[in-house]
Amino acid sequence: MKIRNYWNLRDWGASVWEGANRTKRVAIALTAIVLVALLPFAGASFLATPIASYDAVLVYPVGIFVLMALGLNIVVGKSGMLDLGYVAFFAIGAYTMALMGTHTGLNTWEIMPFGIAFAMIAGVLLGLPTLRLRGDYLAIVTLGFGEIVRLVVLNSTWSKGPNGIANVPMPPDIGPLKFKLDDQKVFFWVVVIMILLTIWMIRRLSVRRPGRAWEAIRQDEDAAELMGVPTLKYKIWSFTLGAAVGGAAGVLYASKNLFIAPEMFTLNVSILILSCVVFGGIGNIWGVVVGATILGYLPDRIRFISDARMLVFGTVLVVVMNFRPDGLLPRKKREKVIVKKEVVA
Amino acid sequence: MFKVLIDQFWSLTISGVALGFIYVLISLGYTMVYGVLRMINFANSEIFMWGTFGTVVTNRDLFHYTQLSEPAKGFKLVFVLLSALLVSMAIAGITAVFVEFVAYRRLRAKGTNRLATLISAIGISIALSEVMRLLTASRPVGSPRVLEKLILTEVWGANIRLDTVITIIAAAIIFFILERFIKLSRMGKAIRAVSMNEDAAKLMGVNLNRVITTTFLVGGLATGAAGFFYVTVFEYTKFNIGFTMGMAAFTAAVLGGIGNIRGAFFGGVSLGLLEVYASAVLGTQWKAVTVFIVLVLVLLFKPNGLFGEAVQTTRA
Amino acid sequence: MNKKIKQSLAIVTAAALAFGLASVSSASAAAKTYTIGYQGPLSGGEASTGIDEQNAVKYAIKLFMAKNPTIKIKLVSIDDQGDPAVAGTVAPGIGTNKSILGIVGPAYSGATIASLPYYKAGGLALISPSATRVSLTDPASPDFGSPVFHRNVATDDKQGPALAKYATKGVSNAKVFIFDDQSAYAVPLAGYVTSGLKSVSGASLVGTDSVPNTTTDFSPTIAKIKTSGANVVIYTGYYSQAAVFIKQLRDSGSTAVFAGGDGVFNAQFAVLAGASAEGSRLTGVAGLADVGAKVEAAFKKSMGVSSGVYAVEAFDGANIFLNGIKAGKTTRAAMLKWVNSYKGKGIGGATLGFDKNGDIAVGGFSGFTVTKGLLKNTGPVK
Repeated sequence: MKIRNYWNLRDWGASVWEGANRTKRVAIALTAIVLVALLPFAGASFLATPIASYDAVLVYPVGIFVLMALGLNIVVGKSGMLDLGYVAFFAIGAYTMALMGTHTGLNTWEIMPFGIAFAMIAGVLLGLPTLRLRGDYLAIVTLGFGEIVRLVVLNSTWSKGPNGIANVPMPPDIGPLKFKLDDQKVFFWVVVIMILLTIWMIRRLSVRRPGRAWEAIRQDEDAAELMGVPTLKYKIWSFTLGAAVGGAAGVLYASKNLFIAPEMFTLNVSILILSCVVFGGIGNIWGVVVGATILGYLPDRIRFISDARMLVFGTVLVVVMNFRPDGLLPRKKREKVIVKKEVVA
Repeated sequence: MFKVLIDQFWSLTISGVALGFIYVLISLGYTMVYGVLRMINFANSEIFMWGTFGTVVTNRDLFHYTQLSEPAKGFKLVFVLLSALLVSMAIAGITAVFVEFVAYRRLRAKGTNRLATLISAIGISIALSEVMRLLTASRPVGSPRVLEKLILTEVWGANIRLDTVITIIAAAIIFFILERFIKLSRMGKAIRAVSMNEDAAKLMGVNLNRVITTTFLVGGLATGAAGFFYVTVFEYTKFNIGFTMGMAAFTAAVLGGIGNIRGAFFGGVSLGLLEVYASAVLGTQWKAVTVFIVLVLVLLFKPNGLFGEAVQTTRA
Repeated sequence: MNKKIKQSLAIVTAAALAFGLASVSSASAAAKTYTIGYQGPLSGGEASTGIDEQNAVKYAIKLFMAKNPTIKIKLVSIDDQGDPAVAGTVAPGIGTNKSILGIVGPAYSGATIASLPYYKAGGLALISPSATRVSLTDPASPDFGSPVFHRNVATDDKQGPALAKYATKGVSNAKVFIFDDQSAYAVPLAGYVTSGLKSVSGASLVGTDSVPNTTTDFSPTIAKIKTSGANVVIYTGYYSQAAVFIKQLRDSGSTAVFAGGDGVFNAQFAVLAGASAEGSRLTGVAGLADVGAKVEAAFKKSMGVSSGVYAVEAFDGANIFLNGIKAGKTTRAAMLKWVNSYKGKGIGGATLGFDKNGDIAVGGFSGFTVTKGLLKNTGPVK
């Protein structure tokens, strides 16, 4: 396939970026960040969402989805492991925030490290026994893990079972920036900062040893193992980092939504986030960002067709995947992944 | 804690086996497609759901049974049941082929991208379930009672009921026919050839598209039959039942060793039993947790499922 | 290839924009229009509850506009899917949309709790037809919804004892088995039934279970019931599951009394369960059908469908807002005051009015017995 003839935003972007010098790059990045930060002020334009408030939609689903999709992308996109239980880490983060926030008097930023730590511990505990499994077997085990976390929370009294936990405290104000109920711009900016941190972390790791190890594992795990890559170790690393991002997203989400209940952490969330990753362009950070933005935003934008909303959503998934199987913005290294038959052989 | 299990052991076992046979048929849908494409057919749960509506429509609209009418008897009973079975199988089979055509074919022609195909299948399953939701106005749909649930006999304190017996026997027969089909027929051999080595099969003149469509069709037929038994036993369906049953059947397929027809059989039956025993001992709220823990343990010791190896030759 | 993608994307975008513009233009209607909302699950697995309630609200509006041709009422459908996560996203927008004077809903307690902070901040009056969780009107609870939250449905702690009493009525030496569907509605209700059972003389609790609401195979639960020797079985979940369960229970040969709460109290229960439902005892609040066959017939003629769950509550709730609009309460503050001090009669003849915590002042549960496929009112449970 000739890459030039391809309708290809990603290559265009990459060529602009590569052609620019350092000052230009800084300028481009800053402009982009400022534009994104100004997004909540565009509520009066065609972007406005009917019924749901636009700035709230930007925080959740859009912002949180982007954050979680970036985290899941470390696992699925970078190292090629199919994780269908990502919601578990989100739930662990959210419940950490809710329980500690209502019981200890710590604020959101102080709880954040705990949420991330618990999610990472869960990631290691799940990863150690299961990451030896491959492909779809791993998928079902992670899926089961996600369901187990939800069911344990649902059936336990410390989590208040199906009633959920209300009155989760909002984050404390940061200087002049106040967190408000009816105006969620500050929440959005916080999410954007967390997204930028995550992107920075992934980009740093990608060009270093872990990134190369993940790439090797994704392309051919056996070959990587033979070449001396400690695959299990790097798989667990990737899993744990993904979990950390999910946990952070959970903490922020609980603090934003003020109320959490087990029914919010179903398998559907895992599937939706996975869809965001693949829809946008698996393995490519910008693709994932675009994918999560669209899939988070779309259902609320088309609320006026409320009845057939999810039907449209499903159809869009099918159509886009069929016409752009590598996602809207595919990853750059276009080597075909040889994964067709590795599982049973 | 174990009092219920001991007291009601046989009656639990019988319903567990009946449920298990429904799982067996659904997991055939997963396992056959997996065998050929190495992909989870995420839409199989919705194929099942559409299949259940086949039986409801036959009973209710074709034969005009209502909730208050008497169950059918004699020859008419056989006729109605068989028609419902065939309609369910046909609807599910057509849906399965449709899913292959819309969500899989184009992606397959472009070379394999497993995740894109997975998301495409998820998309079509959302769409299928939403269409049914809109058609039924989100309401549960009951099926009139066609088969009287006679208690045939009592064995060790357990009631042997007609619907359970029919489910177990008929599902076993359908399973056996499919197994023979895969093993002996020309098409079955082609399916097996593709699942062993796609390229080699192609070189040997196997028409890949036809084989894959047939695989989806056969998987759909089995899943549709499961839909019939489900409605016959539970007399109920809803647009969102696919998810739970599909998850369970998929778990069963993995438990038995996905891609393996006999694995689906043992996986399905053991899952049915495991579910009822776990519910009786620990409480139904811990059923799913128990199932997944058992699954993880099995996979840790047998990473390809209970029957994942040693059966390469019979693999679908 | 290239072209095709562009085309398909262009079509999708164009379609989305066209729909969007259409919706925007329809939103900017004439000036003499007042807006109220209905919030509940209108899509997703719980949608039927929301659709039933919203139909009742629509019916109330239809009747009102026919009587008052000078006032136009616009209804905003706020679909929260009964899911607190979705509610947390829609509520901020509704809270700041000052054109909405009041909301019938939210239908579900979890979604209510997630929405409350935004509605409190916006001073938006709520009348829920079906959010029964006790904590919503409990001043000591963190979810306390006053002053904006009201409900014209009795709470779980009132229904629990009523259900316990009605289920065991006339059963000597009642051995009760209680199970729920793990939902946020059923689990607390089961707790109140259990504690209500203590005041019923001669009754004892012999077993419990908690069955996920996606289950259709109840054989383990039935095995437990048989082992426990229960002669009364109480289910606190919803009607669709109850219908599947009661069939299996009767087919297993058990003749134990079956009882359910207002989640089971639905004409569809008897339809789905057929002959097996016969004799089931349900507690609930009289529905439109019970209010009078005439009212129900008018409803069906006007809306094209039968009235459903919580139709009376939703209808009455909508009427409180509509009467307020008629009385000139066209700001949120005025509307909230109006609702807080409202005194009137509901369609069923019951007195409507809220106490200071937002609970309906008087309200009780009636007992219903399924007789020949219909829910027959046997009068208030005493």
